[in-house]
Amino acid sequence: MGHGKYIAPPKGEYQVGAGERLDLQYIVLPGESREIEITVDLDGPGAQAHIKALYLCKGNEKVRFRIVMHHRAPGCKSTQLINGIAGGEADVRFDGTIVVAPDAQQTEAYQENHNIVLTENAKVDTKPQLEIYADDVKCSHGATVGQLNADELFYMRSRGIPESEARTLQMLSFLSPVIPAGREEEVEKAVRSL
Amino acid sequence: MSESDKIIQEFTQGEYKEGFVTDVEQEFIPKGLNEDIIRQISARKEEPQWLLEFRLDAFRKWQAMPQPDWAHLDMPNIDYQDIIYYAAPKKDKDRPKEIDPKLAETFDKLGIPLKERDVLAGVVAVDAVFDSVSVTTTFRKTLAEKGIIFCSFSEAVKEHPDLVRKYLATVVPASDNFFAALNSAVFSDGSFCYIPKGVRCPMELSSYFRINARGTGQFERTLIVADEGSYVSYMEGCTAPMRDEQQLHAAVVEIIVEKDADVKYSTVQNWYPGDADGKGGILNLVTKRGICKGSGSHLSWTQVETGSAITWKYPSTILKGDYSASEFYSVAVTNNHQQADTGTKMIHLGKGTKSRIVSKGISAGVSQNSYRGLVRMGKNALNARNFSQCDSLLIGSRCGAHTFPDIQSQNPTATVEHEATTSKISEDQLFYCNQRGIGPEEAVGLIVNGYAREVLSRLPMEFAVEAQKLLQVSLEGSVG
Repeated sequence: MGHGKYIAPPKGEYQVGAGERLDLQYIVLPGESREIEITVDLDGPGAQAHIKALYLCKGNEKVRFRIVMHHRAPGCKSTQLINGIAGGEADVRFDGTIVVAPDAQQTEAYQENHNIVLTENAKVDTKPQLEIYADDVKCSHGATVGQLNADELFYMRSRGIPESEARTLQMLSFLSPVIPAGREEEVEKAVRSL
Repeated sequence: MSESDKIIQEFTQGEYKEGFVTDVEQEFIPKGLNEDIIRQISARKEEPQWLLEFRLDAFRKWQAMPQPDWAHLDMPNIDYQDIIYYAAPKKDKDRPKEIDPKLAETFDKLGIPLKERDVLAGVVAVDAVFDSVSVTTTFRKTLAEKGIIFCSFSEAVKEHPDLVRKYLATVVPASDNFFAALNSAVFSDGSFCYIPKGVRCPMELSSYFRINARGTGQFERTLIVADEGSYVSYMEGCTAPMRDEQQLHAAVVEIIVEKDADVKYSTVQNWYPGDADGKGGILNLVTKRGICKGSGSHLSWTQVETGSAITWKYPSTILKGDYSASEFYSVAVTNNHQQADTGTKMIHLGKGTKSRIVSKGISAGVSQNSYRGLVRMGKNALNARNFSQCDSLLIGSRCGAHTFPDIQSQNPTATVEHEATTSKISEDQLFYCNQRGIGPEEAVGLIVNGYAREVLSRLPMEFAVEAQKLLQVSLEGSVG
């Protein structure tokens, strides 16, 4: 735990055996360019892997996520949630693949990537991919690229919350599912700096 | 017999009933591909010099291109020198305008009316293409009264060269991709359609493509131009005989939608899928693209893909005009050894552009079915919006279903949403049907039709019934 500003090492290959559970968390804060490349093999029945990541960019950072999740055994479960905000001239790419092998029945695999683009020059490219060779599976992925909701902003402003504060609140609530315990203040500070 | 009884009967028989061969005298050019062959094709079609040069230029570009291998397909080696690039039924010299009765019979058997009196007035105008040539185009006069041009591509080159020259290869340039370049070099026939300003096309236009000759490939080219404020609904269908060898079909479709025009393009693709062991079938490698050129224009793609051994097809839209909109609705069914890699591209360039993608994949047997899509929000796509939904249904444990979306946004005001799910027909659903006396296969048909309903309901009436039946037939033998 606690490798600098992010939690797990940025590159890694993980084998998760029967009944084991892997939890990975990442934080990329403004000013950091990161390439996060992970491959997870769920090798034994009932293995689990859960990945959470958060990124915040405001300069010309380059952030890459390359996540490959192999479901090789039956009854495994994996979740991925990657949320982030791209400002400045940031260039963000998410490349995620879930591969479910032919015999990996009763698989549950979920992958989500949500992005907010704040500025004209920021760029987000997301490729959430599914390769499924078994039929008894529950797999879904979702990806969104958008902006802060104008209605929410209006709601808060009409109740006397200043615009910048309202935006901070919006961003914090967007990020809250992926903020690791104990890192709230640090993230809030970073959000305010955007 | 009621419609539903017929469906059940066809479902249980479930063979490819369009798999017959028409015994008609045909003329061919020699096998192989080189500049001489291209000159021969061009000469046979009595083409102007500029078109020959367009072909030769495309051929030279094609030679320098590698065959793409990024698709999730196990593509057989295609020997491009072992294909006959032009085959046409012989015409009676004394009566060149008459349709050979055998050809008329063929299209009749396929349910495609070539005689205008056979159909209710104002239903569907058909351009029927047999191997490399268009046999006939119906309702040309009726349409001409409104200023609509609907004819075979070859006729368009002769009669409306300016229009063809103005729009040809403006959406799909000759060097766009390997198969588009090949098509640009050797394309034979296809349909051309021009709807003038402000005209609402009074009937559905339709092209029907039939491969008949052995050892040939079909390379059709379709060009649709909808001028300002016009509307047209266009349908496309296709079938081929059952053969052990695979046949190549590499088409290009270009659609130009001007300001405030509206085009609806529907396909029911039913090429021969090969037998249960994966022998034979059509390699369907096509490039379809439209451009919403003017503001407020609209282009809608609807496809039902049930045939072909291999499908490589991405009907796409370039949303250039401000506030233009496009939709892509697709049902792709693969069974036995079929492989499909299909999807769409939505390129948002204009302000306030909108797109919607609904893709339903169904895989059975040992087939592989992939959705591949791109949504790009350009720098100027202010407030652009996209929503994509890609669902996969797996029937049996040996098939594969894959989703490869790519979302690129360069605009802080654009919103893109993508979601995909993969599931199988649940035991509960089947049990529910079974206990009410609905057999397993019929139940699957029922569930699949419900699953694909959102797309099927977008099809023109004439196609919807056909498509539902096709879905059932395609999945025959996939349960139990």
